[in-house]
Amino acid sequence: MSETHTHDHPHHHEPIEEKQEALEFTILETAIRELSIEKKLFSAEDHRRFMEWYDDIGPTKGARLVARAWVDSDFKRRLLADGVEACKELGIDWMRPTGFGTPSDYTFFIVCENTPKLHNVIVCTLCSCYPRPVLGTSPAWYERPNYRRRVVRWPRQVLAEFGTIIPPDVEIRVHDSNQKTRYMVLPMRPEGTEGWTEERLASIVTRDTMIGVALPSVDWTTTSSPAEGKN
Amino acid sequence: MSKYKLGERVTVRDLPSLFHTRTQGFTRGRTGVVVALRPEWVIPEDEAWGRYEGRKEPFYIVRFLQRDLWPDYGGAPIDTLETEFSERWLEPARS
Repeated sequence: MSETHTHDHPHHHEPIEEKQEALEFTILETAIRELSIEKKLFSAEDHRRFMEWYDDIGPTKGARLVARAWVDSDFKRRLLADGVEACKELGIDWMRPTGFGTPSDYTFFIVCENTPKLHNVIVCTLCSCYPRPVLGTSPAWYERPNYRRRVVRWPRQVLAEFGTIIPPDVEIRVHDSNQKTRYMVLPMRPEGTEGWTEERLASIVTRDTMIGVALPSVDWTTTSSPAEGKN
Repeated sequence: MSKYKLGERVTVRDLPSLFHTRTQGFTRGRTGVVVALRPEWVIPEDEAWGRYEGRKEPFYIVRFLQRDLWPDYGGAPIDTLETEFSERWLEPARS
């Protein structure tokens, strides 16, 4: 800091401190990672690349599956009959999702089709199992007990908290993914999308519509900010 | 060979689960219908302890009416919940 540093705003030059004690698992992960790098099991760059890829997956692949199912009824049939096989058609391999050869814990993928009489929603009450190869990283709320405990018991109330009201003559079916099967919702194609390209259809299939806490809308994508609003 | 068939009504057994299990407390003693037969696989009670060659069983997806799961369920009477069990956790429906 020199004489050019001025204080026209009130602040103190406090040292930057870590206010929270490190969790046991944070310490464990750091230790194992550093030992692994030291023993040349992988490099620091390998690890960084993995994390960058992992944080970036997002729901685009799932959206493409839905858009393809909307325009191609034979693909939809294959997708509903065998999710893992149909995913390969779009370059998604559930057996090698990371591309690094790590074994996959989840080995079955079931797509749940919404109909005018059926609305599906996904949860994992035990932990937070999520169809990561097609949807990427789960949202924070999906991992919290607040969602996991309540959506199995009060699904209509929880969905209403997301702004989603399902009429009482439509069955809500909650899928609790407690074993090796992973689920994704195939939402209904909205009215007003006739003639759209697959790419444009995919743009309205957002993450929350594939978890089942939202319905796709012709005028909402996540490619424009809420302030800009509509598609 | 699966003991239970598609469409069969089954009740979830309340077995002791001292350590690891994936059978949720809220399903114990509840009755639903088998809606999918899943492949035979090592049970989670063994797999969680690294016994990958442990006991293998068929798995089932069972669908429950929410009003059968929760005594005070306030949603629609047609609402359902589906979840998955290995064979040892099921018995022919008691009700």
